Amino acid sequence: MSSKDKVKNYILENYLFTDDQSALNDGDSFLEQGIIDSTGILEVIFFLEEEFGISVADEEMVPENLDSVNNLVKFIETKSAA
Amino acid sequence: MTDCQISTVLASIQIRVEELGDAPCIVTGDQRVSYQELWGLARRVEGFLKQKGVQAGDRVALITDNCPQYAAVFYGALLAGAAVVPMNTSAKMRDFANWLAHSGAKVAFVDFVPRELQKLPAEQLGTALVAINEREALPGPLQDLGLSCWDDVLAQNVPETAPEVQRGADELACIIYTSGTTGNPKGVMISHGNLVANVKSILAVLPIEQGDRFLNVLPFYYSYGNSVLHTHLVQGATLVLENSMMFPNVVAKKLAQESITGFAGVPSTFSLLLSRGKLEEHDLSRLRYVLQAGGAMPVPVTQQLLKQFSEHVYVMYGQTEATARLTWLPPSRLIEKLGSVGIPIEGVNIQIRHPDGSPCAVGEAGELFVQGENVALGYWDNEVATAGTFIDGWLKTGDLGYKDSDGFIYLKGRRSDMIKSGANRISPLEIEEVIVELPNVEEVAVIGIADEMLGQSIAAFLVLKQGSSLDVRAVKKHCLDNLASYKIPKQILQVDALPKTASGKVKKHILAEQVGEKS
Repeated sequence: MSSKDKVKNYILENYLFTDDQSALNDGDSFLEQGIIDSTGILEVIFFLEEEFGISVADEEMVPENLDSVNNLVKFIETKSAA
Repeated sequence: MTDCQISTVLASIQIRVEELGDAPCIVTGDQRVSYQELWGLARRVEGFLKQKGVQAGDRVALITDNCPQYAAVFYGALLAGAAVVPMNTSAKMRDFANWLAHSGAKVAFVDFVPRELQKLPAEQLGTALVAINEREALPGPLQDLGLSCWDDVLAQNVPETAPEVQRGADELACIIYTSGTTGNPKGVMISHGNLVANVKSILAVLPIEQGDRFLNVLPFYYSYGNSVLHTHLVQGATLVLENSMMFPNVVAKKLAQESITGFAGVPSTFSLLLSRGKLEEHDLSRLRYVLQAGGAMPVPVTQQLLKQFSEHVYVMYGQTEATARLTWLPPSRLIEKLGSVGIPIEGVNIQIRHPDGSPCAVGEAGELFVQGENVALGYWDNEVATAGTFIDGWLKTGDLGYKDSDGFIYLKGRRSDMIKSGANRISPLEIEEVIVELPNVEEVAVIGIADEMLGQSIAAFLVLKQGSSLDVRAVKKHCLDNLASYKIPKQILQVDALPKTASGKVKKHILAEQVGEKS
C-alpha cells in the first residue's frame, strides 16, 4: 500500500468512519472542512510516528505539512528522504 | 430591566470609527480591514437587509467561522434592527435546519466553502441564503444556483440615513443556540441591554485599551468569542484572527510576529500552547493580558501559565445565559486563590443556594444563582425551558460551587449531567437522540468521562436489539452525519442492560464506574 493510501485510509477510517474514497479529496483542508480538530491532529502525528517511523517536531506542525492528504504525503516523503 | 432607549455597542463602535478611521480593526492573513472599512461594510449589510425586506425584530442567521464578514454582518444586522443568530459552524444539517426554522430567520449569511454547508441550498427552508463568499469563490456545484453573494452586498450603497445606534434595552440583539435537543432547542435571547451591561462590566476589570492587538482563536459564535469581539471593538483595539488551535506553533509565532498584547483561550488552548507552542522561543514581552475561561483548568496547567505570563493571567467564568462573563479572578490573587473562578464582575450578584432555595453558608456547596443586567431574556420560543432556568429575575446556572470567607467562588461540577468537553457544553440527550435512531439500538445512555486535554470526553453505552452485534464505526458514522464532530463519543460500549432506578431513570454514575470514573 502506498503512503498516500495508508494516510487516506487512516483519515477515512478514524475521522470520517467510512471506506468511501470519494468522501475525501486529497487536497481537502482538514481544518477548512472541519474533518480534524486541534486534538485530532495530535492523533494524526502519533499515527505518522508509529506507521512511518518519523518524528514530528513542534515547529513542523504547520498546515503546509499536515493539513491535507497531499500535504501529509509530501511531508512523509521529505522526512523519509532526510 | 426597563424598556428605555440605550446607547448600544454600535454607538461605542461608531465613536471608534470616527476617532480611528483607517486604524486596523480586523486582521486575517494578508487582509487588513480598518474601522472605517468595517463600518462601511456593516452599513452596506444594513442597506442590503432592508432592501430584502428585513425589519426591526426580524432574525438574521450567521453561519461562518471568524472573518471580517462575520463582524460586518453582525453589526449590519443590528443596524437594520434585526437580531443576529450566530450558529456553530461545526454543527450538521439537521441542527442548521432546526435552528433556522425555530428562529424563523429571514436571511442567513453563510460561508459555503465547508462541504456540509453546501447542502444548505437543497434544504426546503424559509430562509433566504446569502453567501459571505464572493461569487467567483463559490464552490462549483453552487455557481449556477443564483445565490446572492458578497459581491451583491459590496455593490450596495451605504444608506443615506444616519445609523440607528440607540435601541430599547430589552430589544433583542442576538440568539445563541446552546445545548438543546432537536425537539427542545435552547436559543438564548440576548438583548442590547445585556450586551452593553456585560461589555461594560468586562471592561471594568480587563485592561483592554485602544491600540491593543488581540490574537483571537475563539469562535465568535460562542458567547466567549462574542464578548471578545465587542469588548475589543468598543475599546478601539485590533483583532488578529487565527481560527484554530490545530497548529499551536503557528499561534505562538503569530503572538510574536503580530506584536500581540492580548490573548484568550479555554483550558485546552493553553494545554496545547504550552505543550506544543515552544513559547520560550518567541518574544511575547508585549502580552499584557491573557484570559482563561470556558471551564476549569487543571491546576498544573494554570501554574505553567503563570510561570509563562506571571501577573497577566485573568481567570474568568461565565455562561451564555449571562451574555458571557460572570466572574473574574484578579491576577494579584491568582496564586493565593488557585482553583477559584474569582469574584463577581461589576453589576453581577451571585448567590449560592441549597436545593430548597435557602442561602448556603461560607464554604458550603450549593447551586449558583445569578442576577444582573447581563442575565438574558430567556430562551427563544421555549417557555418551559425559560421557566426552569430564569426564575424570579435570577438565572439558575446549574453550576455547583461554594464561596470562601473572602467571597471567592470555587466551582465543583454541575447539577445536571451536561457534558463539558473543551469549551463545549453538550447535552447527553442530544447524542442519545441520534444514536437511538439506529435500527439495531434498543437503548443508549451517554455520559462524560474525565479527559486530560478536554476536561471531559464522551462515552456511549448501547443496549442492542436481540441478535444484533456492535458496529462501532457505523455508530460513529451516524453520529458524524448528524452531530457536530465534538459530540461524537470517543468510547462506544455495549452493555446487556442499563442500570436504572425504580422509576426507570438511568443510573449514570454506575456507568461511569464501569469506565473507571469516580462516582
